[in-house]
Amino acid sequence: MRKIHHSRAGKFALAATALVALAGGFVGVGAAAASTVSADTTGETYVIGTDTTFAPFEYREDGELTGIDMDLVRDIAASQGFSVEIKSLGFDAALQALQSNQVDGVIAGMSITDERQLIFDFSDPYFDSGVQMAVAEDNAEITGYDDLAGETVVAKRGSEGETFANSISAEYGFTVKALADSATMYDDVKAGNSVAVFDDYPVLAYGINQNNGLKSVTEKEQGSSYGFAVNKGQNPELLAAFNTGLAELKAGGEYQDILDKYLDAPAASSDTSFFGLLADSMPALMKGLGLTLLATGLSILIALVLGVLFGFFTVSESRILRGISTIYVSIFRGTPLLVQAFFFYFGLPQLTGQSIDVLTAGVLTLSLNAGAYMTEIVRGGIQSVDAGQTEAGRSLGLGYVTTMRRVVLPQAVKIMTPSFINQFVMTLKDTSLLAVIGFAELTYQGQQIYASNFRTGETLLIVAALYFIVINLLTMLSNKLDKRFNK
Amino acid sequence: MSTVTSKISVRGLRKSFGANEVLKGLDVEIAEGEVVCVIGPSGSGKSTFLRCLNKLDDITSGTVIVDGFDLTDKTVNLNEVRQHIGMVFQHFNLFPHMTVLQNIMLAPVELKRGSKADARATALKLLERVGLADKADARPAQLSGGQKQRVAIARSLAVNPDIMLFDEATSALDPEMVGEVLQVIRDLAAEGMTMVVVTHEMGFAREVADRVIFMADGLVVEEGTPAELFGNPQHVRTQDFLSKVL
Ligand SMILES: Nc1ncnc2c1ncn2[C@@H]1O[C@H](COP(=O)(O)OP(=O)(O)O)[C@@H](O)[C@H]1O
Ligand SMILES: [Mg+2]
Repeated sequence: MRKIHHSRAGKFALAATALVALAGGFVGVGAAAASTVSADTTGETYVIGTDTTFAPFEYREDGELTGIDMDLVRDIAASQGFSVEIKSLGFDAALQALQSNQVDGVIAGMSITDERQLIFDFSDPYFDSGVQMAVAEDNAEITGYDDLAGETVVAKRGSEGETFANSISAEYGFTVKALADSATMYDDVKAGNSVAVFDDYPVLAYGINQNNGLKSVTEKEQGSSYGFAVNKGQNPELLAAFNTGLAELKAGGEYQDILDKYLDAPAASSDTSFFGLLADSMPALMKGLGLTLLATGLSILIALVLGVLFGFFTVSESRILRGISTIYVSIFRGTPLLVQAFFFYFGLPQLTGQSIDVLTAGVLTLSLNAGAYMTEIVRGGIQSVDAGQTEAGRSLGLGYVTTMRRVVLPQAVKIMTPSFINQFVMTLKDTSLLAVIGFAELTYQGQQIYASNFRTGETLLIVAALYFIVINLLTMLSNKLDKRFNK
Repeated sequence: MSTVTSKISVRGLRKSFGANEVLKGLDVEIAEGEVVCVIGPSGSGKSTFLRCLNKLDDITSGTVIVDGFDLTDKTVNLNEVRQHIGMVFQHFNLFPHMTVLQNIMLAPVELKRGSKADARATALKLLERVGLADKADARPAQLSGGQKQRVAIARSLAVNPDIMLFDEATSALDPEMVGEVLQVIRDLAAEGMTMVVVTHEMGFAREVADRVIFMADGLVVEEGTPAELFGNPQHVRTQDFLSKVL
C-alpha cells in the first residue's frame, strides 16, 4: 500500500518507544490493521490509478489530467478531507496495479461486472453507460449491425464494448479485434483496418464532437454502470468515503454540473494549426523528454557497472562466475523487454508484497536489459585484445589486475566505445516501451496528447522529431568524445 | 632442490593440451650464466617448453625449479618469480597504446621499483643500450620490426631479470633486421646473462651458445656443445633436421 499514514506512524512510534523494538513493531502493525475498519480518511493520501486515454472521463488538457472521473474523485476527496495522487497508467495497467496494491483505488470509466466484483469492491454506480457503434464519416455502406457480415470491428480490450461486440459477433458474422485505447481504435477505423468501433457512448460522443472523423449510425445499447473500485477487502474506509461524497455531490447538484461540463458541449481545441499543436504540446513533451533522459542516464550508468562486472565474469577462470554471467545474459537477451517491464512493475510486487514505483521499475528493467548487452560488449572487447598482450604483461611480473587495468582494458575500451554509444542510443529508444507501464516519458506524453485531440499523425511526427534530434545530438557528442579520448 | 649450480632445473616435465601430449618428459639443467639454444622442427614443443619456464602455460606434471623457486608449488608467488625471468616473443607484443618509453617504464613503476624518475632514467639508459635513444616518444606502430624487438628486449630488461627467454625473436623480421637484434642478444650473452634461446638461426646458435638442445616430438633428442651437435650429430633425427636447415 502506498498511503501515507500520519496517524498510524504516530501510534507506531509510541508503541515502539514503550516496548522492545521488535515486539513494539508487531503491536504497532496490529493496532494499525485493526483501526483500518473504523478509521476515517481525513488527512490520508490515496494513490488512485486511472486510464490514460478515456476522454471525457480522463484525458490531458495542457498537460493536466482532467475529465469526469478526475473532477469526481477530486471533488469527493476535497469534501471528505483526504488527498489523492492520480496515476495515469492505462486501463489494463491500472487494474493490475490495483491487484498488486500498487494503487489504493481505480477510477477509469470501469463498468461494474460480476467478474470484476470477484476481485474488487465497487462503490455505488456513478455513471450509467452504454455501448455504441461508430463507423468512418465517409462510410455509407454500414448502417446497422446487419451490414457487418464478414467484416472486422474493433473494441477496447477488456471493456464493455468488447463484451457486447463478442455477444453479437456470431449472430451478425463479424470478427472482433481488441486494441488498448480509444484513439488507436478510431485510427484503425479511419485507416480502414476495421469497419466499425464499439466503444462506450460518452467516449464516442465526445470524440465525434472533437471531429475525430467518425459518426454513429445506431442507437446506444443499454449498458452497465461505472464504479470506483478498491482491491477486495482493502481500503474499506476509502470506499465508504467515496459513496458518501458521491451522494453529497448528487444532492448538491455538483454531480450534474460535472456531467454537463463534459458531455453537453465539448470544447474544441483552441488552435488547430500544426504550430498551434506544437506550442500546446511542447510543455508536456519536454517534461516527458526530461524523464526519458533521466531514465536513460540512470539505466546506462547501472548497465555499465553490470556490464563490466559480468563482462569480467565471462572472461574469468572460474567456471561458477562464467556460469552466473551466462545465465544472466541469456535471461535478459532471451526475453522481450516489454515482458521484463511488466514483470518488474506488476509481477515482482505480487511475488514480494513490496510495491515499486514506476521509475524504479523502469530503470531496473532497462539497466538489467542493457547490462546484458553491455556484458557481451565488454566480453567481446576484452577478448578482441591479442592474448600476447596479456602474456607480455604477465611475463613482466605484473598481476592479473594490473595487466587488465594497464594493458588490456585501455585497448578494449577503445574497441568497445562504438558499441557503447550504440547501446546508449538503443536504451534511449527502449525507454519508449515504458509508456505501457505508465511511465510518463516522451512517447507516453505523446499518447496522452493525441488521445484527447485525435491528431495522432501530427503528434507522433513531433515526438519522433524530438527523439531524432536528441539521439543525433547525443551520438555526435559521444563520437566527439570518443575521438578526443581514444585517439 | 636442484644441484647448487643449476639456475634452471627441469625434471620429468610433461605438458598436455587436452588429450594432446606436447612435452613428454623433459630433463634439462641450466647453469648460471649459461646460454642454451633450443632448436628443432616446428611443432616439436620448443615454445611450450619455454612457456613452462615462467609458467605462462600450466605444468601438467614434473618439476620446474627456477632461481630456487619451485613453479609447481602453488604457494610460490609467480609474479615475483617472473620478475627474475625476462621473456621476448616472436611477435614483440609491445603495448600499442603506450609510447616506447611508457612500454619500458610500465613494469618498474607498477612494481614500485623506486621512483618514476628512476624508472625513466633506467628506461632511457636501456634504450641507449639497444640503440634507440631517439625513439623514446615514438609509438610502436611507428617502428620497424627490428626496432620493435629491441624495444621489447629493453622492456624485459627494465625489471632487471637474471634469466632471459627468447622465443624465435628474429623469425618475424625482415632479413636485414635480424642482425641488429642478434647483436643485442649477443651483448647480453657477453655480460653473463643466463639465457634460453629458441632459434632458427643456426649460425647464431653455433656462435653464442654454450650448449645446444635439439628437440623433436616433445622430447630432448640430443644435446651438446655447438661443435658436438652441429659438427657430429649422433642421432638420425638430428642429422635429418640439420641437413634441411644448414
Ligand atoms: N594453447 C595451445 N592449445 C593447444 N595446443 C597447443 C597450444 N599451444 C601449442 N599447442 C600445440 O603444441 C604443439 C607444440 O607447439 P609449440 O610448443 O608451439 O611448438 P614449436 O614452438 O616447437 O613450434 C603443437 O602441436 C601445437 O599445436
Ligand atoms: Mg614456437
